[in-house]
Amino acid sequence: MAAKAPTPWQSANWGGSKNASVLMSGQVAAKMIKKKKRCLLIVSANAIRELDGKRLVDYAVEIGKAGIPVVATANMVKALREAGFDKAVDMQLADITNRLRDPKWKGLDGKGHYDCVIYLGGIYYIQSQSLSTLKHFAPDILSISLDREYQPNASFSFNNLKPSEWKKELDDLVAELKA
Amino acid sequence: MAKTSGYLKADELKTPLASFKNLEVQIGKVIVEEEEWEPMGPTPKPTLAQLRSWTVDRLLKRYRPFYAPFCDRCCLCTYGHCDLTAGKRGACGITIEDTQGRIVLLACTIGASAHAGHARHMLHDLIKRVGPDYPINLGNDIAVEAPIIRNVLGIKPQKLSDLEEVLDYVENQIVQGVAACHTGQEGSYIDFEAKALHIGLMDFVGMETADLIQITALNFPKGEGDAPLVEIGLGCIDPEKPMILVIGHNVIPSVGVIDYLREHNLEENLELAGICCTALDLTRYNPGYKIIGSIARQLTFVRSGIPDVVMVDEQCIRTDIIEEAAKVKAAFIATNEKNCLGLKDRTFDPVQDIVEDLVKYAMAGEANGALILDGEKAGEVAVRTAMKLAPLRKKFKNVPDKKQITEFAKLCTECYDCERACPNDLLTSEAVKAAASGNLSLLESLYEDCVGCGRCSLACRKDIPVKELIDAASQSQIKSDVYKVRVGRGPIKDTEIRNVGAPIVLGEIPGVIAYVGCANYPAGPTEVAKMAEEFLKRRYIVVVSGCSAMDIARYKDEEGLTLYEKYPGDFDAGGLVNVGSCVSNSHIVGAAIKIANIFARRPLRANFEEIADYVLNRVGAVGVAWGAYSQKAASIATGCNMYGIPVIVGPHGSKYRRMYLGRSDIDEDWYVYNARTGDKVYVGPTPEHLIVAAENMDECIVQTAKLCLRPNDTSKGRAIKLSHWIDLYRRKYGKDFPDDIQKYIRVEGDIPVTFKEDLMRVLKDRNWKPSEIPDPTLYERLVKAKK
Repeated sequence: MAAKAPTPWQSANWGGSKNASVLMSGQVAAKMIKKKKRCLLIVSANAIRELDGKRLVDYAVEIGKAGIPVVATANMVKALREAGFDKAVDMQLADITNRLRDPKWKGLDGKGHYDCVIYLGGIYYIQSQSLSTLKHFAPDILSISLDREYQPNASFSFNNLKPSEWKKELDDLVAELKA
Repeated sequence: MAKTSGYLKADELKTPLASFKNLEVQIGKVIVEEEEWEPMGPTPKPTLAQLRSWTVDRLLKRYRPFYAPFCDRCCLCTYGHCDLTAGKRGACGITIEDTQGRIVLLACTIGASAHAGHARHMLHDLIKRVGPDYPINLGNDIAVEAPIIRNVLGIKPQKLSDLEEVLDYVENQIVQGVAACHTGQEGSYIDFEAKALHIGLMDFVGMETADLIQITALNFPKGEGDAPLVEIGLGCIDPEKPMILVIGHNVIPSVGVIDYLREHNLEENLELAGICCTALDLTRYNPGYKIIGSIARQLTFVRSGIPDVVMVDEQCIRTDIIEEAAKVKAAFIATNEKNCLGLKDRTFDPVQDIVEDLVKYAMAGEANGALILDGEKAGEVAVRTAMKLAPLRKKFKNVPDKKQITEFAKLCTECYDCERACPNDLLTSEAVKAAASGNLSLLESLYEDCVGCGRCSLACRKDIPVKELIDAASQSQIKSDVYKVRVGRGPIKDTEIRNVGAPIVLGEIPGVIAYVGCANYPAGPTEVAKMAEEFLKRRYIVVVSGCSAMDIARYKDEEGLTLYEKYPGDFDAGGLVNVGSCVSNSHIVGAAIKIANIFARRPLRANFEEIADYVLNRVGAVGVAWGAYSQKAASIATGCNMYGIPVIVGPHGSKYRRMYLGRSDIDEDWYVYNARTGDKVYVGPTPEHLIVAAENMDECIVQTAKLCLRPNDTSKGRAIKLSHWIDLYRRKYGKDFPDDIQKYIRVEGDIPVTFKEDLMRVLKDRNWKPSEIPDPTLYERLVKAKK
């Protein structure tokens, strides 16, 4: 029997014909990320959410320490600094998305375009809009949503997960990135 | 020039061709010379493409449209659906960018039409009330009565009927805008955006017209900063009295109620209050009445059973409100051609017959009512129906009791459909689960943040009325929901502009911040009040309107005072100015225009580009539409942008699909002419964006302070503005200085003294070099002297 197709977390949030493939596990996501040459992690306003005692920013710090540059949107740069990570660049979500869609933008370090953008801690609907921009105007970028709600506008997204399932996948992802 | 009607009568007239006796000729309109108040400027009544040198060549080159498509397809014609994903084109050749631009233009035309249509209906009704020659006079302190109309059309309206010409023009432009949206018409997203900006401008003309009409003919406040305080909140109604609830934006039927109550000495016998802008406007007509709250309160208040009659006019009214009224046995009256709701037109029926039918429908719980297209008559019917119905229905409500809440909650299967339907992801499942074991506190905790859409109830596969459970658990909050709001004062006085013009333009009053628009907030209404207070304490000028003006009242300090009780209503540093309803937004832009005209003496008449150039470069005004949801909000924001005023929307505003974003990393975007020399000068990204969505309140606060920066700031003014921005940044972002701070410091004198040592070190690390402070303009023709 065929697996049930994923549905957007906010049920009416169907974009159109091109929808995210489901990430089967955090480990798979980490392997995809490791294969890419220039990744960027976007940590957004819901990153202060707690997941069984661990905050999303703590995962963001671990991903950042694994060598992936971090953009903090909204005021998440404060939470990241408080969690011991002071290398994040702060930009508005619209601003970083606007630059990512520009093929001439040379990135935060001036070394060129990114080929993979990872989202964590997004407010569902505004993150969906940012992912939509990349889907349409930067289709060369692989976009990965690590949040627990299925985001159809990403290239890859977790399916809608229970908090305990989500925590396991994030733990596995971080472990694989460090491996 | 102005148009008016003409009449010629001759007992005997001989011409070379013929002779006439008893000749009478009625001419619809003749041209008469208008008082020469100022030489005519370059762009009277600009048409759809006439201001492209501002929109296409300047604004949109710096603030390029950024699209976040809400839908990947186009379904506007029968070739569709067309999939436009990632570079595909539609059957007509349209791209995803073009179709986003088209949707934005359509939204702006809908919004502008709503205000212009509102104005047209009011003009029709109020000319009947006071006559076409009723003078437009806003008092001795306001000589520039219609800054936007003067600036865009080049006319100076002196009597009510002069506004016919204004609306003729606006309606014509809106029709042209809609026409551009037809398949196979406009095919460039940049030009869709240029048209959207033009239509946003038309919206401001329409709004100014609408408010001028009602201020003039209904004698609303005319810019008095000490306008009275009135009660607001769901708990402000005496439940022992019959009650009429009005919802919408057009105050005429509410005026009918108030007049009837006064004429029949019934004012003490009945409660009248409103939801949305019609409520703000009825208190401008008579501050003895009350406001329930924003559009978010419709379901909650109607279900409370307190209103005996629900009377709607136009805009932002739930389309199912007639069914909600029926559930509580309330009578229902519609009063506007634009919102007939399938009801029978009873405009010419005897009042007694209508009242009897309305009482009959209500007591039968029938979703039926009366359409009455005459405000005066609707007012009489509403009052007589409420008086008759109230003792019969006895405030019949649709709110479950505690036992029913628990019974409903026990049906929950924890499928999360309610949460997934909630626009704000409120944790409804958890709250319902807790209610099943008798704990209602989680349900009650959702009340304040709920936007009142009711989608949770509709999504439930077990028919649990989740929204009703939230309201039922929150009855004590609802009963104590009483606050104070200042009545909308309307325009900003010319005398106030003379006082604050220089400090605003020089930057010494660090900004004018307008909290406007609807109630689709990401995390409850009190955030708007908290943001407003942050800037009031810092002595910015804070201006408010519409649902934001109401929701700002829903926040009290430790001493129980609302912001309206703590801060004066003057347009001055530290003032909290409630201009009024949606259409009163025109006075906010009007104030910026008046600064250019009255303070800086820039020619106003039909001189749009110079005034907009002035506002963009010099007037540190920012709009914040934290809960924007409607097409009207889209056109208002776009109209602000047309005048060079940046706007921040809340995260839901990202669903408008388009922002205008600057690129602070592209230096060539940020050059202006120095009008003193003709040199091109880098001024930094000021203001950085024209419309941008923020994710949370802290981000919005910091970005608001940043967007107040203008190229014209003096060093003293820039230092004041930077000190606020840096201080807020430190508190909210936890870092010493913004990563891009060096772009906003032109000379050493710009650096706030308190940060000087640290900031100089940062600037040195970032290879900062001083530049000059120009007399900024984007137009070479405005350069006064070339080197």
